[in-house]
Order: sequence, then structure tokens, then C-alpha cells
Amino acid sequence: MKKDEYIGKLTKLLRKLPKEEKQDIISDYEEHFMIGLEKGRTEEEISEALGNPKTLAKQIKAEYMVKRAEDKQSAGSMFEAVLAATGLGIFNLIFVAVPAMILVAILLTLFVFGGAMVFSGIYITLASFLQPLLPQYNFNIVIGDGLLNILGGVIVGIGLTILGLALLAGMYYVTRCFYGLAIKYLKMNLEIIKGRR
Amino acid sequence: MNAQFKKGVLKLLVLVLLDKKDCYGYEMVDEISKSISISEGTIYPLLKRLKKEKMVSSYLKESQDGPPRKYYKITDSGKEKKAELVAEWFEFSNGVNNLVHDKMTDDNLGDIKDEEG
Repeated sequence: MKKDEYIGKLTKLLRKLPKEEKQDIISDYEEHFMIGLEKGRTEEEISEALGNPKTLAKQIKAEYMVKRAEDKQSAGSMFEAVLAATGLGIFNLIFVAVPAMILVAILLTLFVFGGAMVFSGIYITLASFLQPLLPQYNFNIVIGDGLLNILGGVIVGIGLTILGLALLAGMYYVTRCFYGLAIKYLKMNLEIIKGRR
Repeated sequence: MNAQFKKGVLKLLVLVLLDKKDCYGYEMVDEISKSISISEGTIYPLLKRLKKEKMVSSYLKESQDGPPRKYYKITDSGKEKKAELVAEWFEFSNGVNNLVHDKMTDDNLGDIKDEEG
């Protein structure tokens, strides 16, 4: 492959990266060609030694996406990082991806559960107050008339809210840890370099 | 060589080379290719990552022939990482060497061959 063809292919494959990032990368390879030519190698030899532009582009993209997922923590950037890394073929589908997905599903379920606890806790607290005051409305809440009953309802409601918040806080912490672990795992995998074929 | 064997080794080699002197990318590729076969292109994404992790820094320097080249320089945290990786590498390679050496010189050599067959 000639230099222009190689650089052209690489540029095209990296079109999704931000312009500056892409230019920076391409200039490294242009420099590599230039020095190689100075040292008396041919354009074809240099292209051959650099390796398949497709493989290279995949690696560059994966590096970029994983770094971004680390800097800008979000579900979206993590998803893109995982997707890019999958392009490298580094995931052992059964042993890593499936347990990871199950874990994500469990985390999501617990988040929803925690949210529901907070919501119903607040509802019970308010309803316990408001039901005796507004007897014309039905709050769908079983509660007697006495002050003790109202107090009981409020305590149950507040307790539920606190438990829900604690669960959410705990889940937030667990998710952060999981995110960090995922980044670590992805980075570890980026260090696999393929030999020349 | 098996790809798994090379895992992480390129990073070690780059840091070791840069600890000796500042280099440009091509120079390092040239040096490393003498010893192990790599896809030469993979060094640039690695250098980029090392730069982001602040283990190396880069600067442009004029060359006698042609335009300026991008040189890389190891940082203090890069030096620390290098020492760590080198120690890990020796521990690992010595462990493997010792075991392989022991087994190969054992009278068990025949057994190993049988298992392979």
C-alpha cells in the first residue's frame, strides 16, 4: 500500500473522532512514513510494518473511547467504550459479557426498587397527615382516626423513605465501584498487542 | 510469539527506552522491532495513552534533515511506573525460567514429551 492510500484509509476509518484528535493521530503516522522513507524503506514496506489500518483504527478508537469513559463518567460513554473494545475482539462473551450484563440488570432493578421505596415512603407520610384533614378524598391508605395511628403512619412513611435513600446511596457507591472496575478491565485489555501476521 | 505474552510488555519497553534518552516514535519502533515483532503502528496509540496518563511528555525538535520531529520524554511518575513494571517483569520471567529450567533438566523430560504427544 502506498503512503497516501494508507493515510487515506486511516483518516476515513477514524472519521468519528473529533477533528483535533484525528489530526494529531494522523500526523504521527505521516511523520512515521517520512522518517521511514529517509531511512531508505519504501512506502509499501512501511505500510506493511505498520499493520492493517483497520486493526489499527479499531485500537485507536478503543483507546479513545475508554479514555473518554474514564474522564466523563456516563452510561453512554461507557456503552461506547465497551462497543469499541468489542471491536477489538477482546471480550470473552460467556465469561465476561454475560455476568457483566446480569450485574447491570441487578443494579438497575435495585435502583428502581430504591426509588419506589422513597416515593412510597413520602406518599405514606403525607397521606397519613392529609387523610384525617381531608376526609372527602380517598388516599387509599389504611389508617385509623386516632393520633397514634397518624403518628404510626408518619413513622412508617419516614422510615421507608430513609431506607430507600440509604439503598440508593449504597447503589450509587456500588455503581461507581463497578464503573471503575469496568474501566480497569477495559484498560487491561487495551494492553494486548497483536503480533505481526 | 503468542499475543498474550506481549500483553503489557510494549509499555515496559517504551518506558525503559525513554528512561535512557528522549526518543521519537520511529526510533523506539526501530529499537523494539529488533527484538520482538510488533505491528509498528500500535506504538502511537500507546504513546498517546502514556501521555494522557502523564507518564511521558512530548515536544517538537528540529532535525538536520526534514521537518521537526515529535520527541517523547519520560516524567517522574513514568519513571516510577517503569521501576514497578521492570520489577514485575523480572519476578515473572525469573519464575517462568526457573520452572521451565527445572522441568527440562529433570528426569521427567520423557513425561513432558508423553503428555504433549
